[in-house]
Amino acid sequence: MSTAVEVEYSTGELMAAVMARHLRPGEVAIMGAVSALPQAACRLAQLTSAPGLWFIAGGSGAVNPHLDPLVASSCDERLLDADAVMTLPDVILVEGRGDLIDIFFAGGLQIDAHGNCNLGPIGPWRHPTLRGPGGVGLPFVSRAGRVVIYSMSHDRRTFVEHVDFVSGPGFAAGSVALHGGGPALIVTPLCTMDFDSDTHLARLATLHPGVTLAQVLESTGFAPIVPPKLETTPVPTPDQLAILRGLDPTGLLRGGA
Amino acid sequence: MFLSSAEAIERLVPQGTGLLAVGGMHMHNNPMELVRELVRRRRGVRRLLTSPSASLAADLLIGAGLVDEVATAYIGFEHLGLAPAYRRAAESAAINVVELCEAAIVHGLYAGAGGLPFIALPAGLELSDVSSANPEHFRTLTDPFTGDRVLVAAPLRPNVSLIHAIAADERGNVFFAGAHFTDRLMAMAAKTVIVQVERMAEAGEIAAQPAESVLPGFLVTAVVVAPRGCLPTASHGAYGYDEPGLRAYLKLARTAEGFTEYVQVNGMAPSEVTA
Repeated sequence: MSTAVEVEYSTGELMAAVMARHLRPGEVAIMGAVSALPQAACRLAQLTSAPGLWFIAGGSGAVNPHLDPLVASSCDERLLDADAVMTLPDVILVEGRGDLIDIFFAGGLQIDAHGNCNLGPIGPWRHPTLRGPGGVGLPFVSRAGRVVIYSMSHDRRTFVEHVDFVSGPGFAAGSVALHGGGPALIVTPLCTMDFDSDTHLARLATLHPGVTLAQVLESTGFAPIVPPKLETTPVPTPDQLAILRGLDPTGLLRGGA
Repeated sequence: MFLSSAEAIERLVPQGTGLLAVGGMHMHNNPMELVRELVRRRRGVRRLLTSPSASLAADLLIGAGLVDEVATAYIGFEHLGLAPAYRRAAESAAINVVELCEAAIVHGLYAGAGGLPFIALPAGLELSDVSSANPEHFRTLTDPFTGDRVLVAAPLRPNVSLIHAIAADERGNVFFAGAHFTDRLMAMAAKTVIVQVERMAEAGEIAAQPAESVLPGFLVTAVVVAPRGCLPTASHGAYGYDEPGLRAYLKLARTAEGFTEYVQVNGMAPSEVTA
């Protein structure tokens, strides 16, 4: 269908475009540490398919930062060039309301088939083999409208059958216990997944261009549901790439960020 | 009110302080001059409380062996990598980790500041393993209004809080630039508060921007003027973080020997103590 000239894009840019398409006008999104990617996705969505989207850039408290330019740290002072700035305690307070945050961007050193995320200890809690940094606000995903999980690693260490520690709760306790909608989308360098509404298990949704089903299954430590027909993830359009590159002159999304 | 970092730490942070809170967020506004003085003087703390996301300040204190127990929701360096000294200490079980979440820290500090006996947390937070990992910090009660089960957490009352701001006046009124993260809460909840600032406030400066003067002097025990004292972390309103400097730390601190070298090269050996 597309008549556009094929344009080179990075994995980060593809992932930003995928995440942007998931967002709807007027929604409120929030993200935490190491969040240049979802921030870029939100700004892209504001400028294309989701006008009026709001997003709170992590610990900075910045609301709709202008990303002029996109920065690597979630508490960078340049994020305060924004439509509004909340104090960090106020952000953490209203995360608890449960009716304000539509989209919570989450991630983990481990992510499992139920959408649980672990940023804490890997291995025994008191004597971990790898001490992760900690989950910051991830327990609040249980109260958000939808959870979008993103990871720059897609391998069997990251995508596991069961996380060793639940920082951000997914569906494992049953959807009844969650006070929000739970995990809705996983975006990785290889594919996207959503969640089956009956079993609450991760289901492959799209494969990125050039990625095979075998490659995803080989790289995933659980067996995702494989639908009869797998689409290819749409590539970013030249317009989307132009917006992303305008935000990101230093290439945070092009260096594997 | 105005002390050198050496005087402030020597007089106000006793050896074996029960709960020491250190402010800033990620690699921003870490009161590094005060932290370096703790390392120089080998001031150990029983429990370190971090902001919801800590970085160099916490990693340095842990690496120096000055922390028995750390209460935190994140210690790392965002896009630059994991926290090497924290990893080494936790993975060898050399420190006890009291795993908290940002709500337990922020609401816990509100409780400390407001004299609340404990805090009740929103439903859903009990689904993470944070509370089950730390039964001494969390309890489950019956909500007296609804009869539902409710997760509650302990208040946080630091003996000492160390925070950073851009400037202070002669009465210790503190003036912020950029974000102040959880620093005001840490000050309001603590018995002793040491504020590291870039400079003295200029005459009339606070009066010109009263909305930024959000920590009054009666909550401040001492002010330490330390120009560029947050480096290699950022100081909002003054300078960004020194990424090569942080990367140099991360590279050296990968090993215990490298960590010791970093401490010595950066003026934190005990021999650097001044009166």
